[in-house]
Amino acid sequence: MALAFCGVLFTQTATHAEPLKLAYSDWPGWVAWEIAIQKGWFEEEGVDVEFEWYDYVASMDAYAAGQLDGVGMTNGDALVTGATGKPSVGILITDYSNGNDMIVAKPGIESLKDLYGKKIGLEEGFVTHLLFLKGIEMNNLDASQITIVNTPTNETPQVLASGAVDAIAAWQPSSGEALKLVSGSKPIFTSADAPGIIYDIYYADPESVEKRRDDWKKVIKVWYRVVDFIRDEDNLDEALEILSSRVSITPEEYEPFLDGTYILTGDEVKPIWEKAEGLGSVYGSSVISDEFNVKYEVYEGSLDSEKYLDPSLTLEVLAEMAE
Amino acid sequence: MSRSQRSSPPQEAWFVVRRELSGKRTTVLSFISFALPLAIWAAISYLPFLWHPDIQLQISADREDVTTVYIAGDRVSKGFFPEFVEAVREQNEDVEVLLKSDDPLGGSTESSIRRANKKVLRHLAPVLVSHGIINEDQSKEDSIIYQAWADIANGKWVPNSPPLSEENFAIAKKNWAAMSAVSLTYDSDNFISIPLLSLIPQGKPANPDYLPAPDQVAKSGLKVLSMPGENDRPSMVQRIWHSMQIVFGGFLLAALVGVPIGVLCGTYSFFSKLIEPFTDFFRYMPAPTFSTLLVAIFLANDAPKIALVFVGTFFQLVLVVSNTTRRLDLPLLEAAQTLGANQRQLLTKVVIPGILPNLYNDLRILLGWAWTWLVIAELVGVKSGLTEFIETQGRFRNFDLVFPVIILIGLIGFFTDQILALLRGVIFPYTEEGAAASTNPIIKAAMFVPRWFREAVEARLPPDLPQRKNQPNEA
Repeated sequence: MALAFCGVLFTQTATHAEPLKLAYSDWPGWVAWEIAIQKGWFEEEGVDVEFEWYDYVASMDAYAAGQLDGVGMTNGDALVTGATGKPSVGILITDYSNGNDMIVAKPGIESLKDLYGKKIGLEEGFVTHLLFLKGIEMNNLDASQITIVNTPTNETPQVLASGAVDAIAAWQPSSGEALKLVSGSKPIFTSADAPGIIYDIYYADPESVEKRRDDWKKVIKVWYRVVDFIRDEDNLDEALEILSSRVSITPEEYEPFLDGTYILTGDEVKPIWEKAEGLGSVYGSSVISDEFNVKYEVYEGSLDSEKYLDPSLTLEVLAEMAE
Repeated sequence: MSRSQRSSPPQEAWFVVRRELSGKRTTVLSFISFALPLAIWAAISYLPFLWHPDIQLQISADREDVTTVYIAGDRVSKGFFPEFVEAVREQNEDVEVLLKSDDPLGGSTESSIRRANKKVLRHLAPVLVSHGIINEDQSKEDSIIYQAWADIANGKWVPNSPPLSEENFAIAKKNWAAMSAVSLTYDSDNFISIPLLSLIPQGKPANPDYLPAPDQVAKSGLKVLSMPGENDRPSMVQRIWHSMQIVFGGFLLAALVGVPIGVLCGTYSFFSKLIEPFTDFFRYMPAPTFSTLLVAIFLANDAPKIALVFVGTFFQLVLVVSNTTRRLDLPLLEAAQTLGANQRQLLTKVVIPGILPNLYNDLRILLGWAWTWLVIAELVGVKSGLTEFIETQGRFRNFDLVFPVIILIGLIGFFTDQILALLRGVIFPYTEEGAAASTNPIIKAAMFVPRWFREAVEARLPPDLPQRKNQPNEA
């Protein structure tokens, strides 16, 4: 009986009238959706969406399990999720990490090199792992000298405070919590040291994009309304109020996160969507992520990272908005 | 009862081996047993020379290029506080150097300086809050805060909680000199865009956030209890109801299935030998080890949680009930058999009525057992109920909100148990508690409520059990 009932539910989800099921998590670039949700901009735009709040890694698991139409991921993690779960296509670059992803070390540790023979807590195979390895590479160090303790990102502050590890890798708000929890701890390497290594992108189920392209374009249009709102100095207090309450911290504490997450306007994003080598382009950045993932055996065999990106929707929306 | 008091000497010793203390002394000691932990908690919280390893900020400041923001109310360690203060002083010195130079903006944009200045001003807001001038929701009322800076600088207002330090008075004067040159009242379009000096952080000794003071817990407790639900966050009353559904759901299921099995095991050796060995083995596997399995079977909502409480209670329950059944006085059964009772009559007319009072006690204890699984059960799958609140707030280190909920769970369990213990005397008046209960006026008043139940039980009682209910009360 119950199974038959579930079956009915599933066939219903496949039909068109369902809302787009979208995940968002505590990364400041995606918490920004909360502004549109609270202000009812999706209704105004005439697109039926259902935003679900997740822990970051749980959101990717839910996407891989086919429960979502879209999910915010870093360009590197999208490849990991694609290789091990379900491929996706990035249709909207929301921001790049400009310091919010960081490696926080307890007092007395000044650099990555000081971590030799010590332990770092991070979520293996995901974005903070990539950041850590990038830091190792940029400083010509040897990753095998440092022990990784697999730790869910939102647990990292407590784990650092417990003394079980000597450093952690996390993004805001967890990294900030860790800094606060352990007096005198400091960031020893952040995404601001390697800008472009982490692009934060909204990825969609390729099938959903094909079937409901117009709905997705409306979602993108709403996003650029959010960007305009956040980037306007006069709205800052109101925006901070909305954003900070979603992750249950104070607006004052939230404010520095906006500097650590560079939210991209339509004009700023266009050059990033152009194919080029290096970290200035999302394509170049994704190739580098892919090489990293293969080199450090996050998954086997290089992926065609170009297939994970589709600028056409964003560019169409921006062109329409310019008219 | 009163007779034994009269016969004892007026100066009874407090320590006598295996002698019950008088009712009055029992009451006093019960009171102290609650008052003592409370007193220790209060002492540690309110006596500043006890412990207090941290500094709780009363005035905070932002540091440039540091993403960690401390706000008033945050705690920092006593070792770190001077570093923090020093960093802000150095920053102020840099600003003063900058102001004397040709380029007071120091390469920043005017808008970013305006923003930073606004934050500098607002760090005074907690002082206004503690004086009751504004409430916490108004900490961004820039025009009121602007006026307060003016009043402090002009000596019209001298804050006393906390008393502003000399250096902060000097800073207020310097800042106001610069601000008043731009505008005498707050004007968001005409706001000072050369850097201001930050107030130097001030604080008082405090305990770590995981030990909030009793008054804080009481205050937050009221806030928590009256917390309304919003969007996807249920209200506290809804959470309590949800948690109780899990506990009682799992417990009732376990009792429904487990009691008949237990009674059979205690009555017939056949069932005992067939069922008990495996049950005995199974109960040593901790219920939480099944959590992922239960989620796989029952998916993520309430079902796996109730199942976990069930698994945690059921096996224990079967063994306890069978043991209770086995302890029924053998002469009762023999007497019934002599009178010609058949198998079915033995079970329904002798065994079940005979064990009911003890069975009731067993279930009471097992309900307490079920409560202990609550927290783990609510973490399984989608977090829910009171535990979800504890988890979330604990993660944000809002322990003043966590304590009331922990205490609440304790109170619900404690009072449920106390009520059930009282009811036992009412339902089973022929037991020892029943005898005591018959003299208790509260219970006498409440007696009519479960009367139907009592009568139903009495109707099934074997006639040879002693009945106290017809005896006249001593009082």
